[in-house]
Amino acid sequence: MEPSRELNFDALVIGGGIAGLQAALDLADQNFKVAIVEKDATIGGKMIRLSKVFPTLDCASCITTPKMAASAHHENISIFTYCDLTSLKRDGQEIKADITQMPRYVDADKCIGCRQCEYGCPVYVPNHEEGNFNFRKAIYIPFSNAIPQIALMDVENCSLCGKCAKVCPTGAVDYFQQPEDFVIRAKTAVLATGFKLTPMDQKPQYGGGKIQNLISSLDMERLLAPHGPYQRVIRPSDGKEPDSIAYVQCAGSRDKTLGVPYCSRVCCMYAIKQAMLLSGALPLADITIYYMDIRAFGKGYEQFFQNAKAMGIEFVKAKIAKIEQADNQYVRLRYEDQEGNGGVVEREHDLVVMSLGMVPDWNPAGVCDVACDTDAFIKSTIPSLAPTVTSIEGVFAAGVAIGPKDIVDTIAEAGAAAMEASKYLNALENPKAA
Amino acid sequence: MMSDQKKSDKEGLKALRQQRKASIERARKAIKAQNQNVKAIREQMKSGGKTIPEIAAGAGLPTDQVLVYVASLKKYGMVIEGPKDGDYFKYELAPK
Repeated sequence: MEPSRELNFDALVIGGGIAGLQAALDLADQNFKVAIVEKDATIGGKMIRLSKVFPTLDCASCITTPKMAASAHHENISIFTYCDLTSLKRDGQEIKADITQMPRYVDADKCIGCRQCEYGCPVYVPNHEEGNFNFRKAIYIPFSNAIPQIALMDVENCSLCGKCAKVCPTGAVDYFQQPEDFVIRAKTAVLATGFKLTPMDQKPQYGGGKIQNLISSLDMERLLAPHGPYQRVIRPSDGKEPDSIAYVQCAGSRDKTLGVPYCSRVCCMYAIKQAMLLSGALPLADITIYYMDIRAFGKGYEQFFQNAKAMGIEFVKAKIAKIEQADNQYVRLRYEDQEGNGGVVEREHDLVVMSLGMVPDWNPAGVCDVACDTDAFIKSTIPSLAPTVTSIEGVFAAGVAIGPKDIVDTIAEAGAAAMEASKYLNALENPKAA
Repeated sequence: MMSDQKKSDKEGLKALRQQRKASIERARKAIKAQNQNVKAIREQMKSGGKTIPEIAAGAGLPTDQVLVYVASLKKYGMVIEGPKDGDYFKYELAPK
């Protein structure tokens, strides 16, 4: 298919999570024209899906939404959501990106985000956005503070009954929309492609993803979020308010058998954060964190850990060997007692959270020849002095795309990537000054 | 008389239905099963607020499945959360 149009920008940012938004805002504020290309139907990345952030316990949505809105309303930023990046390469003095706009089957110019289509749609579909704890519809807006507030249709689950088109007040539903290929040319690019968690079913000793009330840390973020699937923390198997909740640390990291030998750096802190939030939400519940080592290296993090202990959260030094389904939908954990009397111990909990590891969300193979490290994250070619510089001239990277890191470090690195990109753009304009 | 645009849309939809025959069939089956489940769950709540295990027992559905439905019906304004009963919350039909 021939590209329908070619657009020119100073900078192209791949990824609309917190790293991409920060890099885009920092460049746009310097009067550079910036394009953000995002694969999801909304910007905001993982951060907008979190409940609160550590160690300040600020509401994640309250911090991310203003960044999302600032990017969406910035006169120098153009946002392209629900797009597939098919190629990113250097083309002479420019970076050329081939992009496919995936069809929403909704006219973005006409949709007013009223959700009448969603309410009218008769098909319930498991809602991955909410850990499959509830349903969405076959036509839907991803979540209430998604940007843009434009519906999209999941044609795999659509019965083509026509109800959405019938109830839409602006005639925005377009069953015939097609993918559209287009090209973005820019002088520089920032890769902010983020992370995903290791799969729940990766480790057979942990039940292979088939144990009820065993959830991921991002699932727990949704349960803790005020606008989450239940608007409270209850057991997904039957709605019971849990009396006992446990965290299994290093459930997907520091484990060579999973191909993730590195530490994901944020799991200790987010588990402590969630445990503190759970203590507030369920004051009578017992909360236990099973850990190999607690890594609380950032500013205020050690104090945060000490506060959690003072709040009564139990820390048990143990690597969980086995997770099983117990009677009455409990989850049984088996471990070696390292600090007590020794021996193998089994304990049961209402709800168990696996602190899964972070792996890259984007594999550039076949799309972009940027070099990656052995851990599959984008390789920083000058890691000590300029960590955002990649193997491609004029292409920089930021955030978890380079390696696991927390939100504070991600934002700082996004600023650094924007500065490198800005320096690069200025050198192109004025080579003598460079 | 039908306008040219309407006629063309109708023909286009016919072709699309043919093209997506398999997924449409799956979606229709899903709607049928879901409607039955929703009806059974709502039926249980007609006599007042009930917990998830109570609804599940009455409707003959697994508790985890009932919770997903109830959470969704709550999201779309058809069910409201009631008072707590032991370790469980009760759910009731939203007033019309």
